[in-house]
Amino acid sequence: MDDTILKGERPGRWDSPLDPGFVEADLDRLLGIAPFREMNPESFPRRQPLRAILQNDCRIRRFQRGELIVRAGDFGSSAFMILGGSVRVVLPPGLPDEVLGRRAPGRKSLFKIVAQLWNNHRHPEVRTPEELGSKTGNLVGEGAEARVFLQDVPRLIEQNKTVTVGAGEFFGEIAALSRMPRTATILADTDDTELLEIRWQGLRDLLKYDPTLRAHIDALYRKNTLSNALRSFPLFQHLNEEQLQRVAAQTQFGTFGDYDWSGDYKKLAQSGSNAPERETPIAQEGDYPDGVVFVRSGFARLTKRFANGQRTLNYLGAGRSFGLREIAHNWRHPDRTVPFQASLRVIGYTHTLFVPTHVMEEIVLPGAPASALPEPMPANVETAEEVDPLHEQGGFAERIGPELMEFLTSRRFFNGTATMVINLDRCTRCDDCVRACASTHDNNPRFLRHGPISSGIQVAQACMHCVDPVCMIGCPTGAIHRDASGGNVVINQSTCIGCTSCANNCPYEAIRMVEARNERGGFVIDAEMRPIVKATKCDLCLDQYGGPACERACPHDALTRMDLTHLDRLAQWLER
Amino acid sequence: MRPFVQRRFAGLILLIAALVALVFGHAQLAPSLRHMAALTGWALLAVCLFLTAYNARKKLPFLPLGNSRTWLQLHAYVGYFSVGLFMVHTGWRWPSGWFEGILAVLYTAVALSGVLGLFWSRVVPRRLTACGDEVVFERIPIVRRQLAERAEQLALDSVVSTQSAAIADFYNLHLAGYFVDPGSLWQHWVGTHRTARRLLDKLEDLQRFLNADQKKVLDELVLLVRRKDSIDEQHALQLSLRLWLFVHIPLTYSLLVFTAFHIVLVFGFSAGVGTK
Repeated sequence: MDDTILKGERPGRWDSPLDPGFVEADLDRLLGIAPFREMNPESFPRRQPLRAILQNDCRIRRFQRGELIVRAGDFGSSAFMILGGSVRVVLPPGLPDEVLGRRAPGRKSLFKIVAQLWNNHRHPEVRTPEELGSKTGNLVGEGAEARVFLQDVPRLIEQNKTVTVGAGEFFGEIAALSRMPRTATILADTDDTELLEIRWQGLRDLLKYDPTLRAHIDALYRKNTLSNALRSFPLFQHLNEEQLQRVAAQTQFGTFGDYDWSGDYKKLAQSGSNAPERETPIAQEGDYPDGVVFVRSGFARLTKRFANGQRTLNYLGAGRSFGLREIAHNWRHPDRTVPFQASLRVIGYTHTLFVPTHVMEEIVLPGAPASALPEPMPANVETAEEVDPLHEQGGFAERIGPELMEFLTSRRFFNGTATMVINLDRCTRCDDCVRACASTHDNNPRFLRHGPISSGIQVAQACMHCVDPVCMIGCPTGAIHRDASGGNVVINQSTCIGCTSCANNCPYEAIRMVEARNERGGFVIDAEMRPIVKATKCDLCLDQYGGPACERACPHDALTRMDLTHLDRLAQWLER
Repeated sequence: MRPFVQRRFAGLILLIAALVALVFGHAQLAPSLRHMAALTGWALLAVCLFLTAYNARKKLPFLPLGNSRTWLQLHAYVGYFSVGLFMVHTGWRWPSGWFEGILAVLYTAVALSGVLGLFWSRVVPRRLTACGDEVVFERIPIVRRQLAERAEQLALDSVVSTQSAAIADFYNLHLAGYFVDPGSLWQHWVGTHRTARRLLDKLEDLQRFLNADQKKVLDELVLLVRRKDSIDEQHALQLSLRLWLFVHIPLTYSLLVFTAFHIVLVFGFSAGVGTK
């Protein structure tokens, strides 16, 4: 028997460079211009040299005048530096949705709703000629490499407030680093505008090893984003401008985990390597509380020691904080201080703001309204040897059960703001939900009544309208976007070019590609005899009255669309 | 009190109040109203039409006609109320004529199938969940075939891998038919699992004659038998949830057709009554 063990190559950091055609001459050129010229190669470790970072995580792209570079509201994992030419930044309120290739928000009129009785197509996935063509300016190229040019740029510039940015400037770095939506639409202002695109991993490493760039980005972040970010937390809303600036000056921001968590989270779940014990800790139970951690984006898991492992108490998404309860307690009772009562660990990717304890005690806590402060800690917290972890953090782990809590966390279902949750103890498997969905969506349901189950609760394969919609990263035409009226993730059929990038990115397999048909039921094909495909997913029946048809169609109160970023509603729903 | 219990409690109170009002109202008004039977008859027809409208609501999910769960609650309670209305309409006695007899049988069948269906749809989901390994109804034949193929393959392979025909013979004698057969619906409806239990007993009995390699194969066959039993149970239960509607709905439409004839007959035979 051949018992030879074949040893494969361990996948490396740069197995897939951003641009395999990136040549030495380009690299030398980059190293000759600021800020790379000023970077000290010696400050980079040998395994991550500056040249390798630039060679593997960067690419040079050229844009023509009027070509869209980034759209406001899109998610992106790259930052850009202008090498040549200039770009035009469209300031708020920005370009209309239709111009950006998005669907105009709005419901069908009552007449159109009723007219579905006779207007609905007999065949599945019928597309009108309008839905088959692109309405977003001129489209060049195919698939994920397709590029969009806006039409009548001078008029757009005239009708909107814009600023021009020239060579040497960075843009998109905050969105890439903090995984927040792009704040402005940017288009090329000159022909042959040359941009250096740096993907997130490369930018992270450059910031890590080059203090000058770090200081530059840090200053930009503090200037443009930090004050507003702090203001979004209720705890800072009572501060005056001067106090807020003092807090901002001492706030540290951090990014933890892997930006590309979505691509392989299922593999992680199967291998068990996403167990809390293996996740990067942001703060550890038992440590001195040196500051409050505010989650700005992404997710973190709150855990407590249990036997030889870590039990999940809750998960914290954007807007939640960690350590405030302990710091408020220590501030109120300086003679009875307590350490962190739980640990905070990264799930996938987390972007945080860290406000040190002394800043909290001196500036924030003294004037904070009682409503913004957490509940006081129990009287015996310092002496209690063993506190039942399930009772802590609102008792969610106890109310929904530790198994379900672990299930939701390990499978990243906390990402969903409209997750389809089915109580199998009530569901008669009648499929009324599926039929209702098909009736309202081109005779083809936009979800599968199928999915993982825990404690009698099934999470169906339906778009969850994620807080962190990774499906939106990489859409070349902006067809998949957040609806302006409610923030739900929708696809504009007119501008979807069927490149499959959203379907491939979705970690929950909630997006399906379908072959479009004409009104007679025949498949629509292009000039090269290939079928026209479109991405489809749940749109929460945004254009219908009364909410999602699936939920309205369930006779047994078994199915609901639920925001799982907070567990209150789930606990109430389970306790019915 | 949990919201569902609260809802049920409120529904029952309302139902009882409505029934009491109906019976007392009828007793009070009957002596003075000449066309009381016609009044209760038309009310019963209206109630039946409302109950039937639920099916139309299900067929038109895109129209803003309210949630199906609210419709079902109303359907159930109005359905219970209709029993009282039917009793009042018939004068608390079984009709004597053959046509009215058929009508009464149809009404009773619709009402009973409704009550049983509601009860069944509350009981079965928990049993389905307890089965584990949730399989969509339409995929059950595929899974069943996969299990049968796997079991057959195991039995065939065991002849070579264990140098013995013991397991293959056992498979031919006891298991081949079991894996092909969709199983007894009745057994799974009442939850006896008799066939699977007997097979598992036989498999356990066979075990003492086998060596370690054969036992491994047998263990896998045991798992397959259990899985097949679970799939059969899911099939039987899901089928029952579909079948009862195939009873309830056609009966409802039959009832409406007979009711239409009933109205024609009533008006036909009452021509001239009370005009003198």
